[in-house]
Amino acid sequence: MADSNVLLRVEHLCKDFPVDKGFLAKHSKNARYVHAVNDVSFDIAAGETFGLVGESGCGKSTTGRCIMRLTEPTGGKVLFEGKNIAEMDKKALKSMRREMQFIFQDPYASLNPRMTIGEIISEPMVIHNTVPDKAERIDFVRELLDTVGLNPEHINRYPHEFSGGQRQRVGIARAFALRPKLIICDEPVSALDVSIQAQVLNLLTDLQKEFGTAYLFIAHDLSVVQHISDRVAVMYLGNMMEFSDWKTLYNEPCHPYTQSLLSAVPIPDPDIQGKRERIILRGDPPSPIDPPSGCPFHTRCPIAQAKCSQEKPELREVLPNHYCACHFAEPNPIKESSIEL
Amino acid sequence: MFGLGLKKRNKTDLRDTPIPEGHHLLEVNDLKMYFHTQDGVVKAVNGVSYTLDRGETLGVVGESGSGKSVTSLTIMGLIDMPPGKVEGGDVLYRGKSLINMSEAELEGVRGNDIAMIFQDPMTSLNPVYTIGRQLSEGMRLHKGMSKKEAMDRSIELLRMVGIPNAEQRVKEYPHEFSGGMRQRVMIAMALACEPDILIADEPTTALDVTIQAQIIELMQELQHKNGNAIIMITHDLGVVADIADKIMVMYAGSPVEFGSALEIFYEPMHPYTWGLNRSIPKQVQDEKQPLTPIKGNPPSLVDLPDGCPFSPRCPYATDLCRTQKPPTHTTKTGHYSKCHYSNDEQFVRANAPKVERIKPGDIASERGVDA
Repeated sequence: MADSNVLLRVEHLCKDFPVDKGFLAKHSKNARYVHAVNDVSFDIAAGETFGLVGESGCGKSTTGRCIMRLTEPTGGKVLFEGKNIAEMDKKALKSMRREMQFIFQDPYASLNPRMTIGEIISEPMVIHNTVPDKAERIDFVRELLDTVGLNPEHINRYPHEFSGGQRQRVGIARAFALRPKLIICDEPVSALDVSIQAQVLNLLTDLQKEFGTAYLFIAHDLSVVQHISDRVAVMYLGNMMEFSDWKTLYNEPCHPYTQSLLSAVPIPDPDIQGKRERIILRGDPPSPIDPPSGCPFHTRCPIAQAKCSQEKPELREVLPNHYCACHFAEPNPIKESSIEL
Repeated sequence: MFGLGLKKRNKTDLRDTPIPEGHHLLEVNDLKMYFHTQDGVVKAVNGVSYTLDRGETLGVVGESGSGKSVTSLTIMGLIDMPPGKVEGGDVLYRGKSLINMSEAELEGVRGNDIAMIFQDPMTSLNPVYTIGRQLSEGMRLHKGMSKKEAMDRSIELLRMVGIPNAEQRVKEYPHEFSGGMRQRVMIAMALACEPDILIADEPTTALDVTIQAQIIELMQELQHKNGNAIIMITHDLGVVADIADKIMVMYAGSPVEFGSALEIFYEPMHPYTWGLNRSIPKQVQDEKQPLTPIKGNPPSLVDLPDGCPFSPRCPYATDLCRTQKPPTHTTKTGHYSKCHYSNDEQFVRANAPKVERIKPGDIASERGVDA
């Protein structure tokens, strides 16, 4: 991808959370850390949707939060339009956040119950002083409400008067209030019912078409990520395992983890479901406090060999623009049925 | 007795009584469960009917608030009354009414003949008792086992659901288990008394896909071995496609469509089922299809619309739909749909989602539905 087009570049991002509290514990030699994000690199182009998938605890949300510095990264760089966010002071950070907004998972907890939705949506504009005139601001909020499919007359209502899907629309209107260049969507539809989920996904797609906003779309639902993303990355235990454009990743996954993840998704079609061979992984993901040596996936991997437990595979380009961190990944994918369990 | 306050019960299990002729293992007939609240009467379950036989899996699909969980809680007798009240209908287990059963009798059935796996493995286990003790409770109560026997059986159960190092794990507390492991414990607990019917209320919703695949595989394996029936409640059409023989689609407290899994997926008749189908992102090879969401929100159960409950959101709704309750249209195979226009084949053919099957064939002959 041409460098000029890159909106956000993440380089070797790391985040470790200390397990033990207290001064002595933190500075002792045996201090233990949760390695939530481990050397993650990717970039997002202006106007594209980059999907980040993985199971719970794989570090996908922490990655999103580190990019906005809602959580301080412990290592690596986050370059937004060439400027390193990880080193910014408070003032620079504030102006940068104008360009970057967040949509949260829980539409119940992410809206202040004591503010009307009009106040909630206009708050970013007040903080960044983008629309100083109050009357103008109210008009703008009404317009935004209309854009996200809510009735502008409801501007003075409180969050509890809305359903989950409607609240998520309020969260989306708030994120779009500053017309940001990038929105980090952290599981924006996972709390919603399927019929409402489809409404919100369509809304996000329409808004992207209208405003040219880039999305970092974090979710655990592979079908949803496939539907909305241009490129998709798969994470496991804080590590990037594979990333590529959605078509390649879903049709020709290289990494055994991606393959098993995809084969575990139940497809709403009894014929396909009855026919396909599934790779069922054994056991749970290991603890990120004490990750396995070598490849983080080797403890559950169906094709693991001795090398996997000793040497950590680097993310390498197996095909043009298709990266995979596996010693044995081949450009021609391992067929599901050829894996013996 | 210390602790559990157990009374040993050595009654014969209801499951040993043969199913009377003309009856099914479980029959739910026009069940109505209303909640009387300050805001009015919440019609949570409004006329649910189905039958279930041994070895069968029924998938119950619907959005939150469609009454799918309340239906099974009513079957289990786990609804507080008041505010709940059974306003009509009946539930027959082996020909015996569960609704009119005394609490003492019901206690012998609950967790024994009919067991339930709850949705949230994080809150459904008691944090202050060991896993072994919680597993033993049902077996000591229903089977009259001694502490030792029940503990040995608990270890066996944990092994069966794939928990390594069971002898050690049985002495541990719930917080020492991961989410997937806790759900396995819940399954082990539900299976402890080898129930006739296993009700699973969103058993995999809180779990990751790889763990979900393990749990579903396990439930199928055990069903194969024990021949029990399963009621699988979920909002995930993928999960029901995976394991259900029959599917009931619920909306606003009542079933809108019922049929074999193949019928619901390949020959759906109700516009709500079509809408659900079009709302889910499909795994596609090349070009993405835009989603077609169902517009609007589900109705309030206090103030159900006149006529068809789905009419305010239905793109095909007519004045007839808005004013009159739809009749039930049933096909030869027992596949039914509650829509005014389901008997209009042309309408159904023109508007149902087009699904290309991998192996085309006559659905009715492929998997016979007992009508």
